Amino acid sequence: MNRRRVVITGMGTVNPLGHNVQDTWSALLAGRSGVSKTELFDASTFPSTFSAQVKGYDLSQDMPDTTKHRHAGRHCKFALGAALQAWKQSVLAECDALDPRSLGIYLGSGEGSLDFDNFTSLMIDAWEDGKINTRKWAALAKDRMDLHRETEQESNMVLAHLASEFGVRGPAFNVLTACAASTQAIGEAALQIRRGDADVMISGGAHSMIHPFGVTGFNRLTALSTRNDEIAGASRPFDLTRDGFVLGEGASILIIEEYEFAKARGAKILAEIVGYGSSADAFRITDQDPGGQGASGSMTVALQDAALSPADIDYISAHGTGTKQNDQVETRALKAVFGALAGKVPVSSIKSMIGHLIAAAGATELITCVLAIRDQILPPTTNYHHPDPDCDLDYIPNEPRKTDVKVCMSNSFGFGGQNDTLIVTACE
Amino acid sequence: MPEKRVAITGIGTVTPVGMGVEAFWNALVGAAACTRNVSRFDAGEFDSQVAGELDDFSARKFVPRDYRKAVKVMARDIEIAVAAADLAFRDSGIITKGIDPENTTIQASRLGCNIGAGLICSDLDELGSAVNTAVVDGKFDFKLWGSHGMDNLTPLWLLKYLPNMLACHVTIIHGAEGPSNTITCDAASSHLAVGEATRLIARGGAEAVIAGGAESKLNPMGLLRQGLLKRLCNSRNDTPAEACRPFDAEHDGTVIGEGGGLLILENLQCAEKRGAKIYAELVGFAGACDPEGFDVTRPTCGSLDLAVEGAIRDAGITPDDIDLIICHGTGVPAEDACEAQGWRDALGDRAAEIPAFAITGAMGSMFAGAGAVELAAGALAMYHQTVPPTVNFSAPAGDCELGLSDQAREKQLTYAVSCAFSVGGQSGACVLKRYQS
Repeated sequence: MNRRRVVITGMGTVNPLGHNVQDTWSALLAGRSGVSKTELFDASTFPSTFSAQVKGYDLSQDMPDTTKHRHAGRHCKFALGAALQAWKQSVLAECDALDPRSLGIYLGSGEGSLDFDNFTSLMIDAWEDGKINTRKWAALAKDRMDLHRETEQESNMVLAHLASEFGVRGPAFNVLTACAASTQAIGEAALQIRRGDADVMISGGAHSMIHPFGVTGFNRLTALSTRNDEIAGASRPFDLTRDGFVLGEGASILIIEEYEFAKARGAKILAEIVGYGSSADAFRITDQDPGGQGASGSMTVALQDAALSPADIDYISAHGTGTKQNDQVETRALKAVFGALAGKVPVSSIKSMIGHLIAAAGATELITCVLAIRDQILPPTTNYHHPDPDCDLDYIPNEPRKTDVKVCMSNSFGFGGQNDTLIVTACE
Repeated sequence: MPEKRVAITGIGTVTPVGMGVEAFWNALVGAAACTRNVSRFDAGEFDSQVAGELDDFSARKFVPRDYRKAVKVMARDIEIAVAAADLAFRDSGIITKGIDPENTTIQASRLGCNIGAGLICSDLDELGSAVNTAVVDGKFDFKLWGSHGMDNLTPLWLLKYLPNMLACHVTIIHGAEGPSNTITCDAASSHLAVGEATRLIARGGAEAVIAGGAESKLNPMGLLRQGLLKRLCNSRNDTPAEACRPFDAEHDGTVIGEGGGLLILENLQCAEKRGAKIYAELVGFAGACDPEGFDVTRPTCGSLDLAVEGAIRDAGITPDDIDLIICHGTGVPAEDACEAQGWRDALGDRAAEIPAFAITGAMGSMFAGAGAVELAAGALAMYHQTVPPTVNFSAPAGDCELGLSDQAREKQLTYAVSCAFSVGGQSGACVLKRYQS
């Protein structure tokens, strides 16, 4: 028996470059940067004073009545908007054949941000003799902390909000494998459809770590670019002078479904998910396996899963964060998998423009792969001016490229060494 | 290609009633009640002051000597997972890099990992000592924080609290290079992780997977948040061992327990070939969702009935084949009622007759870790053909008729079903089958 095929029938996104798929795509092809001075809080003295923020998004753009979701956190609102866009494109609302028990959801959503002012004020007001007086803390906290503000921080709550919007009764999962989360979510969602555990899955990711302790955490790890005097050019994956990633935020959601189910209801199929691979570096929590063995592992498994060879791949959407280590290790891993073809297959990182959306990054990048197939054009790696001898592949520098695109690979590598790869193709 | 059969060949439990499989099972059948007044910090101003605590616990003795330094960057949730992994692998007889790097018995790329985790709260003393260097006129000062304050945090601070670090440390220590995932669906996490791991082995993507979950909400933020949700028992601070009473007429809320469990799931054929001890087979799984779960003021069991029905169908059996129910039993009255109704909806009138048990009375709710400990208890029940007692259960609440008992019972058990659900509305169910060679 042939295995069930999995196709994409809807896509939506809210991110630093746009509040929908088309605006995002136009911005990426124009090489625009979504990076600006951090305005969500006063980061003027932080090592990194800038980030890729979602600007001016209001959920009412996508949802006439937002009352039901009034407690939703920032990233959850992005996810709701993105999901509504995807759902609309899929036209599933008109499908009577969809059993809510066969409708699942698999997200890679991050945690919500802290109730920062109350959280820090408690820590200050209950501080005694070099530690928290927990009695005092509790007495104050019971007054100051809000049920919803606290509960919405749980990373399964985005899932819960989306499930309510679409009446999901099937399998519901959230993965949080750091920067690989939404790639993994889509891969695992595809496996559930393949096996028959669901006919349709809502999948993707949402995250915002542009809050004081999020930026603090990454700054302390020295993972972020500190190019404060040149912020639009700060995210420069694979460039010799790269100095870290630019923290972004946003959400991207895809509707994926079983091929025959989509065909039977006359859905417009955008692309097919043909391969998925997951692996672990099992190396160190702070560093990637320098040989790229973990990263090449997920690519190899995905190729096997798709029954494709490296020669079939027309484009690779890199994890390409712009940290010294990631880009070098990813290049090595690509060489290990693609051999003599490495350097011939074009690779780019849209993080050069959109920033690093952490848990939401992979889903956003997969959407651009689908668009590349649709429009036969590849998005560039911008801010690429100084070739690095250790990163010597074809990174599609600075300008988009018209070419034949049928099969795309998208990579995501999580902090701590969880790696995921997806392969999408035009659907025949 | 037919799916491969999946066996549970190793159990690692880190719970308030005991470390490791033997202590855990003995405590379960002995009806040990281990919830008590919180001793980790002064909880005197919290409404609920009861918890299931781990005694003198550290992951240090569960990691290879050259990895001990890394324990410093592990939140307690991570330490629990790391200890459970060591116990689970040792129990299974599989030799990993972390047990003996010279004599491993499994290929790294064929060993997967899938560990459920919760929202890990940063240590308030640790963060507070940095925050309090950036205060002007009694208020947090962003400028001071950015220029100086944050430097008081250890550079690796963030990595202590990322939920995927449970899986990352475990894969690093044990050299597991196969597929690796982290599920964050509150108390449904473990079942979803174990279910997904089972699928991975069934389709041949791994030979063995270490799967389960771990969490400790035993900190001021955890106690506060569960209190805001009105899920905790506030009425038994003077009789803490009796506080968590799943399905009992006097149930009055749950108790935070800290802990977790990891199971070694293994391709049955590989397990038989190496002569492994097999606790049970994992023969069915399904996940489900309550679409109204986002409203956290309304009780939910995550459409437990749909998950249980799905898992039974997946196992290729009928509700009449079920001999044992492993309840989630939070002890929150509205949740208990919702859960009992879910079991009735899934299993019919027989639901109240089928032997059942819940472990929460003894140790509290372990959130992302709960499900794996419940599955461990279920696998041991199948192995020993014994239904453990339910601690703090004496007579059922009116709407909670299930086959619970405060006594251990010897029974013929062939199929068991276990289901757990989250605040938020997700659920996962697994069907276990007695293994007979």
